[in-house]
Amino acid sequence: MADIVQKENLLVRMQEDIRRALEKPEGERRWGMVIDTRKCVGCHACTLSCVAENKLPPGVVYRPVLDQEIGTYPNVTRRFMPRPCMQCEEPPCVPVCPVNATYKRPDGIVAIDYEQCIGCRYCITACPYSARTFDVGYTYTEGTPEQEVYELLPNYEYGVEHARVPGSEESPIGNARKCHFCLHRLEQGALPMCVTTCIGVANYFGDLNDPDSLVAEMAAQPNAVVLKEELGTKPKVFYLV
Amino acid sequence: MTTLATPMPGNEVKSPNWVQWVAWALTIVCLAAGAYGLYLRFTEGHAAASYGSYVPWGLWIAAYVALIGASAGAFGFAAVIFTMRKTEYYGLARLAMLVAFGAFAAGMMNVWLDLGHPFRFWKLMLQTSWTSIMGWMSWFYVIYGLILVVGLFLTRKGVIPKFMERFSWVAFLFAIAFAGAEGALFGVVGARALWESGLTPILFLVEAALFGVGLVAAGALIFGGMNPKAARMLGVVMLILLGVLLLLEWAEYTTALYASVPAKSSAVMTILTGPFWWVFWGLHLGLGVVLPGLLLLFGRGNVLLTGIAGALIAAMGLATKLNLVLPALAQEELEGLAHAFTGPGLTFSYFPSTMEWLVWLGTLGLGGLIVLIGYRLFSLSTPTRSSASK
Repeated sequence: MADIVQKENLLVRMQEDIRRALEKPEGERRWGMVIDTRKCVGCHACTLSCVAENKLPPGVVYRPVLDQEIGTYPNVTRRFMPRPCMQCEEPPCVPVCPVNATYKRPDGIVAIDYEQCIGCRYCITACPYSARTFDVGYTYTEGTPEQEVYELLPNYEYGVEHARVPGSEESPIGNARKCHFCLHRLEQGALPMCVTTCIGVANYFGDLNDPDSLVAEMAAQPNAVVLKEELGTKPKVFYLV
Repeated sequence: MTTLATPMPGNEVKSPNWVQWVAWALTIVCLAAGAYGLYLRFTEGHAAASYGSYVPWGLWIAAYVALIGASAGAFGFAAVIFTMRKTEYYGLARLAMLVAFGAFAAGMMNVWLDLGHPFRFWKLMLQTSWTSIMGWMSWFYVIYGLILVVGLFLTRKGVIPKFMERFSWVAFLFAIAFAGAEGALFGVVGARALWESGLTPILFLVEAALFGVGLVAAGALIFGGMNPKAARMLGVVMLILLGVLLLLEWAEYTTALYASVPAKSSAVMTILTGPFWWVFWGLHLGLGVVLPGLLLLFGRGNVLLTGIAGALIAAMGLATKLNLVLPALAQEELEGLAHAFTGPGLTFSYFPSTMEWLVWLGTLGLGGLIVLIGYRLFSLSTPTRSSASK
């Protein structure tokens, strides 16, 4: 694995992997992510770039980085664990949705139809990874002398314009929201924002169905694990430990 | 006032008028509080609530399951009375249908206002996902509401149609399915160890029956529809249900604590020793189980004590459901999540906001108003008899 990491520009390779995957029919792709916890320094760049890319309001987060302490003082060490949506192969959030607003796409990404979601939040309770958050409708400049216009700019999640106007049909306010591997970027051949901005290139992304892809190679490493494997949700996010 | 349970000439215990006046006054106060809460709900949205992303459900969902459960229990009680042709309790059964409708309306109002998009509720019926228990429940609600309205309408003259007596067992089975499915709504959520249990739907059934009968007893006290015989019968039913509830809770909590798997045992410990320990020990166990249990044991056949015990049981139903809904959600699913990212709603602690309390009061006011008006509208004060006895 050290060879892979040292000999080539990983971002360029992942970009090529994505281009190759996009040439296949959607149903034959299986987007996945591998996070190398040994390389993660806990800088939270991925969290913030995700917030910026998806114009996330206060209280909504797609990819927090968990800061875990191991051992007891003074013999302690820290481990950082970014937590995007696991894009489970068997997602518990999908069958509980009473109106089919959340569904698994043919490429394996679990998506939310913002115009269909009724905001019951049953899916939030059903996710074993707390990967879903509720968009209550906050803005960062609420309560300040002037509401900043940029807070109401639309986001382009799922490749659709979602104006942040309370009460409008396409607004994500009142919905459950989650990471979607930056699907809108992916479909244009770009890597998810968290992968692009990771300062240590600790994220590997691509098509798990492509044995030549970097992500498939990394996911096959013996030290690759998934969270809460015992639940049988079959996450498509792996961690190198 | 005429007795509700007939024939019991000279045996009825009349309720003084001031009891109903107090009920009206409380209802109006609740509605006024609710009107302001509703104003806040629609002007400030969910931002004025304390629930958020990590504890996505709060007071309203607890109230919703408590009220819907009580409604199903009261309805099931009425269905049993009709099925068993216990004509002396027919008046009580009609009252049970009315309080079931009031509780149902209040419960539905709680869950409707909890939706992120309340005006998309129609999608639940017209674009139902049949893999979701909630999808099934939305249709159950429609059917249930219709059954209640039709039942109240058909019996408005105090005569129970023969077919209602004949087919009430179907309604009873529906009430069981309905209340059980409400429990399954939680029981199937594998991500929450406290909820995911085969006992959850059973617990919901028992609680539904208990809170429902409690509500009927409280209603009968207000409207004066209970005589000592009815009080004794209601008391025995409530005592048995209280015993079964305690048994189920004991089984659920002790097995979780003994197994010591943190996902579940920590939720149980939150209930027993967490910051809101008094909800379990004081409200649920003290006021919802022990006190009414003692009142029923030592006041057998006493109309006043049975009514008070019923009211306590029904009211503390909320504490029982709060202990189901919240502690399960207040557990960190992944270590470090609580401090990974901060923002409103990204917390595992929860206490209802003023807006939530006000809206909840308003929904209770709505239920109360329905019962108080329905009592006159459906002529529940007229003696009730079977059409077969013509």
